[in-house]
Amino acid sequence: MTPPRPRRVAVTSPQTRLALAGRRTGRVTAPPPLSSAVLERARRVHGRQLRSALGALALLALLLIGLPLALAAAPGADQVRLAGIPLSWLAVAVLPYPVLVLLAGWQLRRAERAEQVEPAERAERAERAG
Amino acid sequence: MNPPAIVAAVVPVLLVTLLIGARGVAAMRTTSDFLVASRRISPTVNAAAVSGEYLSAASFLGIAGLVVKDGVGALWYPVGFAAGYVAMLALVAAPMRRTGALTVPDFADARLGSAPLRTLSALVVLVIGCLYLVPQFAAAGQVLGLVSGTPYWVGVVLAGAAVSITLALGGMRAATYVQAFQFVLKLVLFIVPALWLVLQVGPDTRRDALAPVEFSRFAAATPVQFRLDTTFIVDEPTRVSVSGGPTQLMAPGRHVADAGSTWVFDAGAAVPRIGGGPPGGPGWARPLLDPSDAGYPLLSTWSVLVATVLGTMGLPHILIRFHTSPDGRGARRTAAITVALLGAFYLFPGVYGLLGAVLLPELYLSGATDTVVVALPAKVDQGPVGSLFTALLTAGAFAAFLATSLGLLLAVSGALSHDLVPGSLRRLRFTPLAAAGAVVLLALPAASIDVGVLVTSAFAVAASTFCPLLVLGIWWPRLTARGAMVGMLVGLLASAGVIGVDLLLGPPPGLTAILLGQPALWSVPLAFATMVLVSLGGRPPAGAAAAMLRLHLDERDASGERR
Repeated sequence: MTPPRPRRVAVTSPQTRLALAGRRTGRVTAPPPLSSAVLERARRVHGRQLRSALGALALLALLLIGLPLALAAAPGADQVRLAGIPLSWLAVAVLPYPVLVLLAGWQLRRAERAEQVEPAERAERAERAG
Repeated sequence: MNPPAIVAAVVPVLLVTLLIGARGVAAMRTTSDFLVASRRISPTVNAAAVSGEYLSAASFLGIAGLVVKDGVGALWYPVGFAAGYVAMLALVAAPMRRTGALTVPDFADARLGSAPLRTLSALVVLVIGCLYLVPQFAAAGQVLGLVSGTPYWVGVVLAGAAVSITLALGGMRAATYVQAFQFVLKLVLFIVPALWLVLQVGPDTRRDALAPVEFSRFAAATPVQFRLDTTFIVDEPTRVSVSGGPTQLMAPGRHVADAGSTWVFDAGAAVPRIGGGPPGGPGWARPLLDPSDAGYPLLSTWSVLVATVLGTMGLPHILIRFHTSPDGRGARRTAAITVALLGAFYLFPGVYGLLGAVLLPELYLSGATDTVVVALPAKVDQGPVGSLFTALLTAGAFAAFLATSLGLLLAVSGALSHDLVPGSLRRLRFTPLAAAGAVVLLALPAASIDVGVLVTSAFAVAASTFCPLLVLGIWWPRLTARGAMVGMLVGLLASAGVIGVDLLLGPPPGLTAILLGQPALWSVPLAFATMVLVSLGGRPPAGAAAAMLRLHLDERDASGERR
C-alpha cells in the first residue's frame, strides 16, 4: 500500500493568493500598513476635515431648519409678491438651490485645501531630501 | 393618446439608450484596461450620471403630484433631495471612494471585518431597494394606463420585463455614459414642456396658478375616474352621472365610489369632500408640508428634510456611481457638481404642480395626482402639439423610471447573490429576473400609494441605518462591529417597522401620524445614539483607527508617493 498522494497545489506568493481571492469573492483585501509619519499626518488631516465638514453641516442645518421656521413664523410672506409670485413660494421653490450650490462650492474648496500638504511639512521634506 | 404614439415615444428612448451603451462599451474596449478607463470619468460627466440615476419617477412625476395633493409645501422634498448631496460631499463622498468598497456591505466588511454586519447590511439594501423600486414600477403602471388606457397591471408587468431584460442582456453598471445621457434627456424633456405649458395656458390660468382659490365647485362637467374605493361626503344635493348612467341628484351625506368607476359631476356642482384639504385651500398655499392636515406643519417638514438629506448618503445605487471617479477628490467634485445639476432640474416640478392644481384639480379626488405631469399637455392643447408633448413627457418619465430601476435592481441583485448567498455568475445573471418578478408582485397591490411618499420611506430607512454606519465608520475610530449591528437593527425597526405598521393599520390621527408616517426625526438620532453607546461599551477591532484615518488621506499620500 502506497500512502495517498498529496494534493497538488499551485505555488504562488501570498500576495498573489490574496489578490486572486479578492478577485473571486469581490472583497477588498487589506492594504499595506501606513508608516507612523503618514499616520500622524492622516490624524491632522482627519481633524481639519472634521472641522470643515461640521462647519458646512451647521450652515446646511441653519438653512433647512431656519427657513421653514421663518416661513412658519412670518405668514405675511404669503401676501408679499415678487413679479406676481408669493415671496414665501419663492423661498421654497427657488431660493434654496443657489444657496446649496454656493455651500457645496465653499465646502469643496475647504476640503481640498485641508488635504493639501502643509507648508511646514513641505519645507521639512525638502530638507530631508536635500 | 393612442398606443402607437406612446410606442413611438418610448421606443426611441430605449434605442438611443442601448446605442450609447454599446458605443460606451466599445470605447472602453479600445483602452487596455476596462477598469482604468471607467475610472477616468471626469467629475462633470460623473455628476450627470449620478443625477441621471438619482432622478427617478418620484422626481419626474411624484413631486408635481404631491404639490396638487398636499400643496406648495411639497416643494420641500426636492430641496431635501438636492441638499443630500451637500451632506454627501461633506461627510461621505471622498472617504467612501477611497475604501474601494463598491457597496455598503463591502464597506461594513472592510472597515469592521464582521460577517454578520455584512449580512445585515445586505438585508437593509433589500428593504431600501424594494421600498424604492415598488413606487417606480407603480408609476410606470399608472402613466401607461393614463396615456394608453391599459389596465394598471399591464404597465407594471411591462416595466418589470423591460428592466430585467435590459439587465440580463448585459447590465448597465459600467455604462456611465448612458446615465449621463439620460440626465440630459430628462432635463430637456422636463424643462421644454414646462416652458411650453406656461406660454400656452394664457394669462388667466397663469394668474390663477399664482393666486390659488379653493377647488370647491366644478367649473365644467368633469369626469372623475376613481382609482380606488373612495368614501366622500357631499354637503348639498349634487348632480352626477355614474359610469355612463343618466344624470341623477345625489343626496347630501356619505357616498362610496367603487374603484374604476367614472363619475361625471355637473358644471357648478359642489366638490365632494375626502380626507385632506382640496387644492387651493388655505393650508394648501402655505409653503410648509402638512399632509392629511395633521396640524404640525413644521414637524413634518423637518422630518421629511431629515429623511431626504441623510437618506441620500445611504442609497445603494448612488454610492456605486462614485467609484467611477478616479480618486476621492474626483468623487467629492462629483458630489458638488451634482448639487448644481439637480438644482437646475428641481426648479421645474413646481411649475407642473401649480398648473395642475388649477387645470386638473379633480385628480385630487380620483387619487391619480401622480399622473398630473403627463396629463397636463392634453388638457392645454387637444391637437397634435398636445399629443407631441404628452409623448415627450411619457418618454422622459420612462427614462426616469428606467435609469433608477436599473441601478436599484443591480444593487438588490448584488446584495442577494454576492452578499447573502454567494454563488456563481450564472446565478447572478438570473437574480435580476427573480428580483424583478418579486418587485412586480409587490407593486401590483400598490396602485394607491403615492410615489413620493413611499420613496420618502426608503430615504427614512436609509437615513436610520446606512447613514449612521457610514458617518460613524468614516469619522469615529471607536465604532465597533457590535455597536454598528445593534444601531442598524434599532434604526431598521424604528423606520421600516413603524412605516409598515402605518401602512397596514392606516394613519392614526394628529401627532402620531407624523411620528409614525415620517419617523426620520426620531429614528435617525435613536440609531446614532444606539451605535455610539453600544460601541463605547466595547472595544474597536485592532487597526480600526488606522483603517479609518487612511480614508482621509489623499491617494498619493496613502501609497507613499508624494507630490
